[in-house]
Amino acid sequence: MKIELHTVEKYYNRGAHNQVHALRGIDLLIDASETVCIHGPSGSGKSTLLAILGGIIGPTCGSAVIGGKKMARLPDRFLTLYRRQHIGFIFQRFRLIPELSVLENVTLPLLPLGIRPADRKKRGRELLQRLEIDHRKDFPAAEISGGELQRAAVARALINDPSVIIADEPTAHLDTRLSEDFLTIMTDLKRLGKTIIIASHDPLVSASPVVDRCLYLRDGLLCAAS
Amino acid sequence: MAGSYLDRQLNIADYALSGFIRRLGRNSVVVFIFALVIFMVASFSLTTTSLKHSASRLLTTVPDITVQQMSAGRQAALSVTVIEKLDGIFGIRSMEPRVWGYYFDENNGANYTVIGHANFSDKARIAGLGIDFLPALKLDADADPAVLGRGVRENLELGERRTFSLFRPDLSVQSFITVGTFSAETSMVTDDLIIMDLDSARELFGLGPDDITDLLVDVANPLEIDTIADKIGERLAGVRVVTSERIKKTYRVAFGWRSGFGLACLFGAVAAFFIFAWDKASGLTPAQQQEVAILKALGWHTEDVITLRFWESLIISALAFCLGYLGAWMHLLFFDGILFRPLLLGWSVLKPPLSLVPVFSFADLLLIFSLSVLPYLAATVIPAWQSATIRPDSVI
Ligand SMILES: Nc1ncnc2c1ncn2[C@@H]1O[C@H](COP(=O)(O)OP(=O)(O)O)[C@@H](O)[C@H]1O
Ligand SMILES: [Mg+2]
Repeated sequence: MKIELHTVEKYYNRGAHNQVHALRGIDLLIDASETVCIHGPSGSGKSTLLAILGGIIGPTCGSAVIGGKKMARLPDRFLTLYRRQHIGFIFQRFRLIPELSVLENVTLPLLPLGIRPADRKKRGRELLQRLEIDHRKDFPAAEISGGELQRAAVARALINDPSVIIADEPTAHLDTRLSEDFLTIMTDLKRLGKTIIIASHDPLVSASPVVDRCLYLRDGLLCAAS
Repeated sequence: MAGSYLDRQLNIADYALSGFIRRLGRNSVVVFIFALVIFMVASFSLTTTSLKHSASRLLTTVPDITVQQMSAGRQAALSVTVIEKLDGIFGIRSMEPRVWGYYFDENNGANYTVIGHANFSDKARIAGLGIDFLPALKLDADADPAVLGRGVRENLELGERRTFSLFRPDLSVQSFITVGTFSAETSMVTDDLIIMDLDSARELFGLGPDDITDLLVDVANPLEIDTIADKIGERLAGVRVVTSERIKKTYRVAFGWRSGFGLACLFGAVAAFFIFAWDKASGLTPAQQQEVAILKALGWHTEDVITLRFWESLIISALAFCLGYLGAWMHLLFFDGILFRPLLLGWSVLKPPLSLVPVFSFADLLLIFSLSVLPYLAATVIPAWQSATIRPDSVI
């Protein structure tokens, strides 16, 4: 899905003493079939940018046009519907619910879509098999390893068959072998025609052949591609 | 690809149920406390209804007017000849002489209330009290027939035996044969009761052949009761005339005050519980806040999260309601409402053991439901509103 940002500004706590100007006039165009890597130092606004692209937060000003629809100024409801249907988000700290089993975590996005239990289970298991962590499906998320957590987070992001996949520092907690596994999964998804946006300062990611384009973010400003 | 509205709601309910099971340890504490509160309220209400039911059955058998002879401020024997003196009063349907008194059973230190009826053999007259008649026996010529309360039967240790004896004032023995037992439903006042023929009672209390203790007057038109009571008072010197309305009023005042007091105490307990529920629901733990943020980031609407809280609260309160209400029935059915009986009846009445029969009242059920489950839902779902509006950005 094609994504455009026009002069997007993001302030946190605007007007308060702890105001943060996290994004400063971002103009960005991402093609539907593109895989983009955003890198930059910690605190530069990568997560904020991804959250706006993923419809988790709205920009303070400027506009986001996603799939031809203007997202800015839309009420929360529409952002939620957009997330529900089109976005697969892999969060920086994975954010699985620790007491839920892996399978329950993975199928969580299907609940508000009204998918029946049997279908949910079937789809969840297929995905877990594809990602080779089927053997952990009944384990509570609190009891699996970092690599397994990440696969579960990927599975959860893919369960609603999204057109846009967003990953925030996906390899930060992984060793080289697991990082390469992750990139293999992304390569497969790219082949399926998904839009992929990854924030990472891991050179393994930015140098990977799966990435079409690298953007550099610094103090909320997008610098020329490197 | 999106399923129906119903499917979405079912999925949320499903998630609520699995969450309830996941947190069974913590939830069962809440369910237990809540069930206890409902148990108390329901027990109280069931006991009250059951007592009221017993009482109203009894009060229908209260005579319109009771006439008693007073002498120096104490009740004295009345002569049956008063019937003739009152005969001319227009509006009196019937008059019935009665002998009643307390019989002290020295063997086990119990007091029985003995009532002698002129028409004792006429089953229909006293059927209002609910008597289980035993099959007729070939009557022993010496034994007087009597109907016993359940407590009396137990005290006399009759078992399957039908005959027993009591002592007259001169310590000679009078033999009786049981022809029936009062039903458990009326045991509130029939537990210590022995009903027998008028002459048997005269003999037992050593009264003269013309003596009675009171005269029961039945009035044709209930509106005339007071007028007729006044006329009786004018015609007979030194009598006390008691109308049924006064007996009922005395009873209602005592009972109403007690149940009102009990209800006020319970209300305090219930209110305390809802404050506790509100407090718990409004202060989410960081883990719970995180869960809400994750659900919202994954595409749950604010109202989906509220629906989730609604289902969670409904599961807890419905379970507690069922447990509490069931417990209350057991309490009344098997333990005769032991917890609230003293409060409602006063300690003194405890002595004769009475057995209460639960009376199902849909209105009561609905009242308890709407006073427990509904406030609980309100006390937990309203504060959940605020937690459901947590923004999903804390997950990034
Ligand atoms: N919810 C928030 N409230 C206030 N400030 C925030 C919030 N999220 C991020 N920030 C601030 O915005 C800036 C950009 O943060 P972030 O987008 O997380 O950067 P990155 O992902 O590149 O480390 C940082 O200074 C951070 O402290
Ligand atoms: Mg970040």
